[in-house]
Amino acid sequence: MSLRSLRWLLVPLLVVPLTWLLFTGFGRDPRVIESPLIGRPAPAWTTETLDGGQLSSAELTGRPYVVNFWASWCVPACVDEHPVLAAAHAEHGDRLTLVGVLFDDRPDDARRFLDRYGDAGYRHVLDERGRISIDFGVVGPPETFFVDAEGIVRAKMTGPLTDDVMARHLGTILPGVSR
Amino acid sequence: MIPTIGHAAILVGLALSAYAVVAYVLAARGGDARLSVSGRRAVIGSFVAAGIGCAAMMISLLAHDFSVLYVARNNATTTPPFISAISLWAALEGSILFWALLATGWAALVLHRYRERHRALMPWVGATLAGINLFFFTVMTWPGNPFARTAPVAAEGLGPNALLQNHPFMALHPPLLYLGYTGLAVPFAFGLAALVTRRLDEEWLRIVRRWTIIPWIFLTLGIVAGAWWSYEVLGWGGYWAWDPVENAALLPWLTATAFLHSAMVAERRGGLRIWTSALVIATFVLTLVGTFLTRSGVVASVHSFTQSAIGPWFLAAIVIALGVSLTLLVWRLPDLAGGGRPSGTVSRESAFLLNNVLFLGLTFAVLFGTLLPLIMLATTGEQISVGAPWYNAVTVPIFIALLFLMGVGPALPWGTASWRTLRDRFTVPLLAAVVVASTAVLAGIRDLGSLGTLALAIFVGGVMLDEVVRGARGRARGRGEDPATATWRLATRNRRRYGGYTVHLGVLVMAIGVAVSSGLAIDRTVTLAPGETAAIGAYEITHDRLIVEPLAADQRVIETRAEVTFRGPQRGTLGTALRDYPNSPTAIATPAVRTSLGEDLYVTLLASDPGSGTVTLHLFVNPLVVWIWIGGAIAGLGAAFAVWPERRTRPVTQPRAEPRPSRASVETVEGA
Repeated sequence: MSLRSLRWLLVPLLVVPLTWLLFTGFGRDPRVIESPLIGRPAPAWTTETLDGGQLSSAELTGRPYVVNFWASWCVPACVDEHPVLAAAHAEHGDRLTLVGVLFDDRPDDARRFLDRYGDAGYRHVLDERGRISIDFGVVGPPETFFVDAEGIVRAKMTGPLTDDVMARHLGTILPGVSR
Repeated sequence: MIPTIGHAAILVGLALSAYAVVAYVLAARGGDARLSVSGRRAVIGSFVAAGIGCAAMMISLLAHDFSVLYVARNNATTTPPFISAISLWAALEGSILFWALLATGWAALVLHRYRERHRALMPWVGATLAGINLFFFTVMTWPGNPFARTAPVAAEGLGPNALLQNHPFMALHPPLLYLGYTGLAVPFAFGLAALVTRRLDEEWLRIVRRWTIIPWIFLTLGIVAGAWWSYEVLGWGGYWAWDPVENAALLPWLTATAFLHSAMVAERRGGLRIWTSALVIATFVLTLVGTFLTRSGVVASVHSFTQSAIGPWFLAAIVIALGVSLTLLVWRLPDLAGGGRPSGTVSRESAFLLNNVLFLGLTFAVLFGTLLPLIMLATTGEQISVGAPWYNAVTVPIFIALLFLMGVGPALPWGTASWRTLRDRFTVPLLAAVVVASTAVLAGIRDLGSLGTLALAIFVGGVMLDEVVRGARGRARGRGEDPATATWRLATRNRRRYGGYTVHLGVLVMAIGVAVSSGLAIDRTVTLAPGETAAIGAYEITHDRLIVEPLAADQRVIETRAEVTFRGPQRGTLGTALRDYPNSPTAIATPAVRTSLGEDLYVTLLASDPGSGTVTLHLFVNPLVVWIWIGGAIAGLGAAFAVWPERRTRPVTQPRAEPRPSRASVETVEGA
């Protein structure tokens, strides 16, 4: 091989590393920081439910539960994940509690959202002055926390849930669900 | 109906762009001129299609048509019309649509303008530009459809990004930047065309230089407007944070600027052809990398849009652009090598070369700093971020060296400089710089960076002034014109040179603004109850009252505003606020800035207690900041002056583009 034809090496030498480098960036969100709550007890709360009752986190302990922060104005992410939550409630509702927490939303808007996209039957609570959101360190909906029967946070999802993500995270708190 | 028209327009644009690529490639290979004509018409058609797409999106936004996903995500029924209109470029899909409008616009303009000229070059230029347009339409057809619909339709949308609706500069900064980015595709297209056809001659250089300066103007103004926006909106008192996306805009600017300088040597002395074409290619690829970093969410930044599926498509575009152009360059290397004439060590050529080395050094430093977090993540898995101190330490010395060259370079003769010329031109400015620096020390300025920059600025300004005065005096004496007329005619007859000087003057003004404002700014944080007063610098600031109320323009936005009175060199009242947007988890600061030519008073509300009315304020006095924006405007005007079409009435016998008669004759002999 003559020295002159070695110049062709320039092309892969520049293209390949750059491509590889930019490619590795995919699938990672640099802004995601793992929740410091994981492995710790879930924050406690008592608040009003969307249908006018009261609910406290103390009533939930004893069996695994999922806390989903959402808002009616959170389109399309909260709309996208809505059927996933409904399906989880339908399938595992007998041994798992789901709770929706309204993130900076008006109760009327939230009710209209549930009318339109279907109310799966699990409870939604109001978050007066954002206290629950602050305790959980929620930045923006949707965010979902998976709490086991002992009240320890085992997993957190930032962004809309999909069936895969739901199954994976449920596996951390529900025995028998594949991880 | 309207969104359907918009979507159809995108599909039409896609088809026309694809056709234009094929037609131009066939025209280039077969040489049938009619194919070129129809390719051009297809490109113009794709421009019209992109225009219809943008209009459809704007109408959908103004009508709050939430059946369009983009509108539902970036608009609400309460959004004011102005914000709705500029939301066209406030998020990913819309900005790609807007981008396509600008890209097809540049392509149509260039292909139309050169329709009768450069017959060998233009088909390849057309094919490249149409190929780039095709990419944007492809993205909009598949992964980033701006007219994707929602069903069922939401009653209310999410509203525009809080940061973007907070300041009218959002109407200015992105379009300027995008105009620069998209325009840099034109020199790239000419570069590829010249490599394919082996016509990398002086004529090519002239076109490419012209079509680099025009987008360069927009890029410069876009970067300065972005710095200004960040100063007026983000509330931390600064204007440049070495954010990855700021860097992404700076990188092509650096290589484009390096190209503009090396092109002068290439034109004047021959040679540097590999170098100049590599710079043209690098500039365009860097605009793509910049876009990739902004749009894919790979790098964390205030600018990143949410993650989306278009990342891989942009990566593919980068690989294709870089691969094709590098392959062409390497293929043509044997043709490009050699051709330069030798010159002395101290000469304008070597100043230009050193300039290019420094610009390239800056490019690598900024690129390295921007990509280092990615490199670390890919190799060690560690998350790091490269901060402003690192960038300042690495780049400030290079910037200062460039500033020095800016003064020395233009005053050096081509060829070889004699000791006498050097003494002649630099003694007085050097003395002036020493005198001013000593005065500044006596006046109490101790900061070394500020002193150095000030002295350099005086030196550079002195050399430039001397250049202009010399030229004008020669002309005034030779033709009996009065000094003002002589100066104006000198400048308008040598637009490139004097436009270039004006750009340098703008950079000088910016450098002084940056040096002084970063060296001498003062700030303090105070907590004040209503009626209490605090002092900063020569100012006294009194907290009058705290007001919490919904914004008049959009009732969903709650504004917490501190009203303060200030007395000192300027006096008056200011309102500085935190705004709670329904779709933003954190309150957005709305700093109050009172600008004067001497200094800015800058007040940010950090926290407040609605019960007692007590507020915590961050106060800044930033000297000379306004000169950074003025300098940017001067630089833009200078570049516009340089490329302004010359009147073609002057006699052809006049020597080209060289003002000093004494040297012009020497040059003609040299260049012959």
